[in-house]
Amino acid sequence: MAASGAATAARTGGFTFDPASTLPWAVPLMLVLPLGAFVLALSGVRTRRSAANMAMLGAVATLLDTLLVAWGLAKQTKPFLATYSYINLTVAFSGPVNFQGFVINVLLRVDHLTLVALLVVEICVVGALGWSRVMGRSEPAAARFYGLVSIFLFGCAGTLVSYDLAELFAFWGVTGAATYLLLAHRWGADEVSRSTRVALALPFLTDLFLLCGISVLYSRYGAQVLDSLIPVLHTTPNWTVRQLVVASILLFVGIAGRLALWPLQSWVTATAVHAPPAASAMTQASWSVLAIVVLYRVMPIFAASNVQTLRMCVYACAVAAVVAPVIALLGNEPRRAFARIGSGVAAVGAAVVIHGFGIPGSTFAVAGIACVLAAAPARTAAILAVSGISQAMRTDDMSEMGDAWRRMPASAIALLISGLVLGLSALGALTFAVQSRTWLGVALGEAVLLVSLGSLRIFLSTAIGPLRRRRAFEPDRVRDVPAASLGWPYWMALGGAVLAGASLVRGWLDYLDGNKHPAPSSGTYVLWLTVVLVGFAAAAIAYARNKDGALRASARIGALLGSLVGAGIAIVDRFVFSPVLDITGRTSEWVPAGDGELGRAAVASGRFAAALTRAPTLPLLILLAVLLAVVVGLLTPGVFR
Amino acid sequence: MKFVSLIASAIHAASPSPTPIAVAGAGIFTSSLLMSLMIWVPVLMAAAIATLPNPRGRFDTLMKQIAFFTNLGLVFVLFVAYNQFQNFLPNMQYEEKVPWLPAIGAVYHLGVDGPGMVMLVLSGLIGIVSVLASLGIRERVRSYFCLLLLTQACINGAIVARDMFVLVLFWGAAMIPIALLILGWGGPRREGAAWRLVGYWGLGLAALVVAVMTLYSATGGTSFDMDVLLKSTLSPRIQLAVGVAVIVAAATRLPLFPLHGWARDVYADAPVGVAVVVASTASRLGAFLLLRVLVGAEPVAAQLLSPLVAALAALTVAYAGLAVLRATDLRQAAAYLALVPGGLTVLGLAALAPLALAGSVLSLFSGGLAAALIVGVCATLSDRAQSRSLHVLGGLAPRMPKLAWLMVLSALALLGVPLMASFLAEFMTFFGTFKNQPVGGFAVAAGLAITAIALAILLHRVLFGSPNPDAPGVSDASLGETWYLALLAGALLWVGIFPSGPKVPGTDLPLFDPGLVNTMGAGLPDLAAPYTGPTQ
Repeated sequence: MAASGAATAARTGGFTFDPASTLPWAVPLMLVLPLGAFVLALSGVRTRRSAANMAMLGAVATLLDTLLVAWGLAKQTKPFLATYSYINLTVAFSGPVNFQGFVINVLLRVDHLTLVALLVVEICVVGALGWSRVMGRSEPAAARFYGLVSIFLFGCAGTLVSYDLAELFAFWGVTGAATYLLLAHRWGADEVSRSTRVALALPFLTDLFLLCGISVLYSRYGAQVLDSLIPVLHTTPNWTVRQLVVASILLFVGIAGRLALWPLQSWVTATAVHAPPAASAMTQASWSVLAIVVLYRVMPIFAASNVQTLRMCVYACAVAAVVAPVIALLGNEPRRAFARIGSGVAAVGAAVVIHGFGIPGSTFAVAGIACVLAAAPARTAAILAVSGISQAMRTDDMSEMGDAWRRMPASAIALLISGLVLGLSALGALTFAVQSRTWLGVALGEAVLLVSLGSLRIFLSTAIGPLRRRRAFEPDRVRDVPAASLGWPYWMALGGAVLAGASLVRGWLDYLDGNKHPAPSSGTYVLWLTVVLVGFAAAAIAYARNKDGALRASARIGALLGSLVGAGIAIVDRFVFSPVLDITGRTSEWVPAGDGELGRAAVASGRFAAALTRAPTLPLLILLAVLLAVVVGLLTPGVFR
Repeated sequence: MKFVSLIASAIHAASPSPTPIAVAGAGIFTSSLLMSLMIWVPVLMAAAIATLPNPRGRFDTLMKQIAFFTNLGLVFVLFVAYNQFQNFLPNMQYEEKVPWLPAIGAVYHLGVDGPGMVMLVLSGLIGIVSVLASLGIRERVRSYFCLLLLTQACINGAIVARDMFVLVLFWGAAMIPIALLILGWGGPRREGAAWRLVGYWGLGLAALVVAVMTLYSATGGTSFDMDVLLKSTLSPRIQLAVGVAVIVAAATRLPLFPLHGWARDVYADAPVGVAVVVASTASRLGAFLLLRVLVGAEPVAAQLLSPLVAALAALTVAYAGLAVLRATDLRQAAAYLALVPGGLTVLGLAALAPLALAGSVLSLFSGGLAAALIVGVCATLSDRAQSRSLHVLGGLAPRMPKLAWLMVLSALALLGVPLMASFLAEFMTFFGTFKNQPVGGFAVAAGLAITAIALAILLHRVLFGSPNPDAPGVSDASLGETWYLALLAGALLWVGIFPSGPKVPGTDLPLFDPGLVNTMGAGLPDLAAPYTGPTQ
C-alpha cells in the first residue's frame, strides 16, 4: 500500500524540470567554463593532445551550457539579468549626483539574440578547434595556442552578455589581446611578425576610438549601462546633439575596426596567410558576430544624434560593402580573398542595421545581424577548407591550384557550400530591409553580386582546371585532408546554410528581437535571389571559359593595386612618419647634448669662480670698478655722450 | 643628547592613531609610530649594515638578507596598516605630530590619506622588488644595500610628510643615495646619468623650494604645516606662481617632456634594482606632489594651468612612443616607455574631474608598477642576452620563454589591457577627462596608439622573428629575477581583477584585502570638492 501510494505520488507529481530555474547558475557558467579551461591549461597542460582536448572540452561544455540557457529562455520574452559588483567608488560628495560615484558591475544580460550569437561563435570555435587538432599538428607551442583559444572564447562570451559599456570594453579588450596573441602565434617567422604588427596596432587604435566614444558618453551622462543611458539621452540637462554625434562617430569607428570594414580590414587580411588558419578563421568569424551585436545595441545612441550621422554611417558601410569584394577579386590568395569577402558581407549587415534604426518605427535592423550570423560559420568553413587545399597543394596562389574537385572532393564540396552560403547570407537582409529602387538597394545589391562572384570564384579556381603546381612535389600525392578534420568545414558550412535559410523566415527575426516583422513579398525574394544567382553565374561563366586568363588578370591588377598601396604608404612614410621620427630622434639627442653643455658651462663657471678666489683682491677690485664705471657711463646720458 | 630627547619626546607626545573599528587584521599590531617606522627602520638597518664588519665580503649574503627581511617586515607592517585603514574617514590617519623647529614653524608631522596609502603600498612592494632585483650585486655589497635602504626611507618620508619643510628635506635627500648608487654600480655611462639626475632633480628641488617659500611667506611665515599652507586661501597670482613652480618640480621628477633628459640615461645605466625604484616610487612622487599641492590646494591655478598640464601629458606620451620607434638600445627604449604611465597620470590631474582624479591616484600605483616592470624586464633581458643593441637582439622568445612572457605582460600593462590595474586606471582617467579636457584626452589616446605600434615593433624585433646567428649566447631569467618581475606583474593582475578586494563568499566582508580602490577613496572627495560644480 505504501509502495502504491508512493507510485501514485510519483505519477501525480512526476519529475518536473524547469529549465528556467537553471538560469541563475547556467548564465555565469557560460563565462566560468572557458575561463576554467584556460586556467587549467595554464596550470597543468603541456602536451598537444591534452591541450587540444582541454580547449575542446571547455568549448563544448560552454556550448552545451548555452543550449541549456537557450532552453531556459525559450518561452520567456524578457531577458535574464544577473549583476555582480566589481567596483563601487565614491569620488565626490557634491556636484551632479550621477558623477558622485563610479560603479562598474559585471552585468550579465541574456536574451534570444545574445544566445544565438553566442551559439554561432561557439560553433565557429568548436569547428576551428576540431579542424586544428588534426591539421594544426605542425603549429608550435600547442599548449599556448589552445589556452589562448579558451581565453578568446571567454572574452567573446563576456562581450556578448555585457550591457555595461565599461564591462563590455573590458571583455572586448580581453578578446582583442587574445586575438593578437593567436594571430601572432607563429613567433619564429619574420613574415608573420611583420604582419602581426598591424594586428596589434590597427585594432588597438580603433579600440581607443571605442574607449573615447564611451568616455564622451560617460562624461556627459554619468552612466554607462545601456538600459539607464539610452532613456536619458535627450533628457539629461545640457545634452547637445554635437556630443551625441561625436560619441556615435567614435563608437562607429571602434566597432568598424573589429568588424573589419574596409579600409580597416588590414589587420585581418595581413594575417590571413601567415596566421594559423584556425586562429584566422575563428577570429574573423567571431569578431564579425561580436561587433555587429554591439553595433545593434548601441544604435539607439546613433539614432538619438541626428539623421546626418546615421546617413554617413550607412554611406560608409555601403562603400565598404562594395569595395571589399571588389578588392577580393584582385589578387590570387584565397584566404585573403575570403577575408575581404567576409568583410563585404559584414558591411552589408552593418548597413542594414544602421538603416533600420534610421527609419522610425521599422524593426528590420535585426535582419542585418541575421545576415552576419549566417555568414560567420560559412566564413570559418571556407577558410578552413581552402587552408586544407592550400596545404595539400603547397601553394597560396590560385593560379597554381586546380583539380581539387577530383583530388580533394570533400574539401572542395565544403568550399563550394561555404561559398554559396556566403553569397546567399545577405539575401535575407536585403529582402527584409532594402528597397531595390533606392541608392542603398543598388549599392548593397552590387555588393551582394560581387560577394557571390568572389566566393564562387575561389571554388572554381581551386576545384576545376589542371593543377599547375609542379615544383618540388608529386601532384598525384595531393589528397584530401585527414578524415578527422574533414567534416568540420562541411558541417559548419551546412550550419551556415541553415542560418542563411532561417534569415529568410520572418519567424526567425521575430525570435531574435522579440518584435513582429512584416513578411516581404515573394517578388522581393525572387529579385534579390536573382542578383545572387547573377553573381554566381558570372563567376561560373568567366572561369569556365578562361580560368587562366581570369586569374592572370586578377593577379596583374592585384599586383598593380598592391604597388599603388605600397607607393601611397611610402609617400606617407617619406613625408609624414620619417620627418616626425627624425625630429623625435634629434630631440632625443639634442636634449642630453644640451644639458651636457649646460653642465659643462656650470662647471666652467664654477672653475672661473674658484680661480677668481685665488686672484689678488686689490687689482681685481680696481678692474671691477673701472668696468662698472665704463658701463654706467655708457648707459647714463650726458657722461660719455 | 638632543637627538635622544627628540626621540623620547616623539614617543611620548605623538598623537595616537584613531582607534580602528574591528576589521580583518585589526588588533594584530597597533602603534602610534607606524609612519615613523616606515622611515626610520630602513635608516636604522642601513646604519646597521654600514657598521657591520664584512672582511673580504664574507657577510655579503647576510647583508642582502638584512635588506630583504627589513623590507619584508615593512611590508607586513604596511599590510596591517592597509587593512586597518578607515576608508571613509576624510582626514589624515596614522598621524604623528611633534614640534621640531618652532622658530621657523617646522613640525615633524606625518600622516596618510587614501592617495598616500596607495603610494605607501607601492613603495612597500617596490622595496621588496628592488632588493630581489639587486641580489646579483657582487661589489661593495654593504654600501649598495645601505644606500638602497636610505633611498627607500627618503621616499617613504616624502610620501607621508605632512609638513612642507619635512617634505622638501626628504624630497631632496632621496636624490643623493640614488645618484651614488648610479655612480657606483651603474653601466658605462653612469657618470653622465648620475650628474643628469642631480641636475634635473636639483632644478626640481629648487622649484619646490620656491613654491614652498612662496606659500610660507604668503600664509604669514609661521608654519610649514600642510594643514596651514595648503588650506589657506591665496590670491590667484600667488596660486599661479606656486602652481608653475610645482609643475616644474613635478615635471623634472616624473618626468614630463621637455624636462625628461635624465630619464633615458638613468633608466638605461642604473643597476636594475635602482632603475626599478626610480621608475616607480621615486618618479611617482612628482605626480603625488601635483595632486597634493596644485590640485588639492590651488584650485584657481589648477584650472588656469590645466591646459598646459594636459599638453605636457600629451606631448610626453606621444614623444615616448615616437622615441621608442627610433631607439636602438633596448634599455633606452624601456626608458622611453616608462614615461607613458606618467603622462596618463598627469592627464587625469589636468582634467580636474573627480573620476579623473581617482583614475590618476590609481594610476600612481598601476603606472609605477608598469614602468618598473618594463624597465626591469628589459634590463634583465639585456643582461641575459649579453647585449642591449636592437640590431643584435632578435628571436629570443623560444630561448627565453619566461622573459618573453613577462615582456609581453609588461607591454599589455603599459597599454592598459583589461585584467590589469592599469586598465581600470586608464578607464577612469579617460572617463573623467573627456568632460573638461577632450582635446587632451584625444591627444593622449593618439599617443597611446603610437606607443602600441612602437611596442609591437619592439616585441617583434626582440622576441619574435628569426634569431640572430651573430648574437651572444642567451639564458632565461633566474629564479630570483623571475620572482621580482612576477611580483610586479602579479600585483598588477591582482588589483586589476580584484580592485575592491576579494570578499568572503556570500558576504560583503573583505577576505584579506579591503581593496586598493576602496582605500584610495579616502580623502579623494575632499580633493575633488573644488571641481565638482553645483549639486543637481
